[in-house]
Amino acid sequence: MSYEKDMMEKNQRGEVIPDKLDIPLLKYLWDASPLSFGSSKENYHEFFKKISVLNSFSDNELRLFSKFLHRREFITSEVIFRQGDSGYGFYFVFQGSVNIYANHLNPNKDDLGELIIRLDQRQYFGEMGLLEEFNRRSASVVAAENTVVLGIFKPDLEKMLEFYPVLGAKFLRETALIMANRMGHLTREVMSLKRKIKELEQRV
Amino acid sequence: MHRNLKLKLFLFFFLLFATISFAFLFPRLTLPFGFAYIIYLIAQPLKVLLTNGSGQQRIFFFMLLILGVVFSMFPLFAAFYNIDTDFSKFSAQLPELQKNLQDKFFIFKVHVFEKIGYRINIDPVSFVVRKLEKQGALLLAQIPTYLSSFFEWMLLVPMFLYFFFFQSKKFSQKFLRSIPNSIFEKTYVLTSQFNTKFGEYIIAKFIEATFLGTIVTIGLLAIGFPYPFVLGFIAGITNILPYIGPLIGVLPALLVALLSQDPHVSILGMVLIFAFANLIDMVLVFPLLVSKVVDLNPIIVVVSVIVGGQVGGIVGMIVIIPFIAFFKLLFQEIYKDLSVQL
Repeated sequence: MSYEKDMMEKNQRGEVIPDKLDIPLLKYLWDASPLSFGSSKENYHEFFKKISVLNSFSDNELRLFSKFLHRREFITSEVIFRQGDSGYGFYFVFQGSVNIYANHLNPNKDDLGELIIRLDQRQYFGEMGLLEEFNRRSASVVAAENTVVLGIFKPDLEKMLEFYPVLGAKFLRETALIMANRMGHLTREVMSLKRKIKELEQRV
Repeated sequence: MHRNLKLKLFLFFFLLFATISFAFLFPRLTLPFGFAYIIYLIAQPLKVLLTNGSGQQRIFFFMLLILGVVFSMFPLFAAFYNIDTDFSKFSAQLPELQKNLQDKFFIFKVHVFEKIGYRINIDPVSFVVRKLEKQGALLLAQIPTYLSSFFEWMLLVPMFLYFFFFQSKKFSQKFLRSIPNSIFEKTYVLTSQFNTKFGEYIIAKFIEATFLGTIVTIGLLAIGFPYPFVLGFIAGITNILPYIGPLIGVLPALLVALLSQDPHVSILGMVLIFAFANLIDMVLVFPLLVSKVVDLNPIIVVVSVIVGGQVGGIVGMIVIIPFIAFFKLLFQEIYKDLSVQL
């Protein structure tokens, strides 16, 4: 929760608002100020606040997290990565949308295969590339329109863990949760497929 | 591929080629730039200590750094003073050393004549001295050039250091933006790996050289060997060169021991100290610090050092190793990609 919201709620509840600001808050305000040194015009803070998996991040953590991201712009139909490429990064769709394709028959051919899903703003993809040591992309991602994505890569995660270990650990936990959710979904899919195969076998 | 994307890719590689050509064409700028980068890399662990942890921890490390700088100034000044004194003493004793060497060669000539009846008519000592005097005169004539490049470095190195500490982040962000999307992931990961490897290698070599130099200096001081600070300093610096560095480092000490007429000077003691220092380096420092960074075959390392020396002199000999380690990584990546495509 942001400091402003916290203060407003305290005020509404009739609680006493502290008349002194503590140092970490002052530091946050100083760092977050657009006039302060080193501030970036690109403030992704508001964008990340709306992403559910990053709910546990505080305002200051989101501000620090956004410093590790790379903004990449893609034109319509431009390939973000191909199935079988080495994967090193995790992407958030900042503007626009992307299509995910998988070619199950000839995974290393130029043919992108069939469309699996379309991801819109605030959705994410490629988290396996960040965690696996030797990752191969399991699908191709193509910009469906002019798209801006924010990517975080292995060296950024290493830097984050070195300079901001708490933030790094929190981000890893969230990425692990995303993976766990995907694994859960995958397990349910496999179970349902097995059930269907059994039903088909019984019918035959 | 879209026409604009192709153009972007071409422009990126053109700019990269132009930058590399510029670096090779203007070594007077490239060398101080590289030197400033090495200082920046050596200072990186301090950056981690000063930016990590809570506010109190950071204040504690900052105070510790200030105390460390203040207290290290005294022995540092003392060491520099001693190195300077050693060099002056060595220069003052050069004529005596020359006479001593000529005497020893004369004894050798007499010995050869008595044993096999052959008269040696050559005078290599005078030849070497004449050569050295000629080189010395050339060196004296080049002093204004060295001084001007020294002043150039005095101006350029702090300027580049300022760039690395305060501007490099913004610059690298702009550079990364200019990388075309199709090669971004791989280029970013590989350049990051190269930076990490290069930084770790430079820090490891710096620690290794300091460690070895200190052991040799203390050891030579303990046995009363002449010029301990100069010889320790040379041993530390030459140790930066892998495999052949320790051999080069022991040569000046061996020369001093051979030419000295002081009966207290022990060649065996000196050799044992150098052997002990290198043993500590091989058993303790190298495996802990350097080998983790540079996972290369020893033969490749030796060949690389020779090639680096031929291409870029002493600097080439030092920086070739992280470059080779990087190329190994690069080839591994290419091989992985090819093996998937096949």
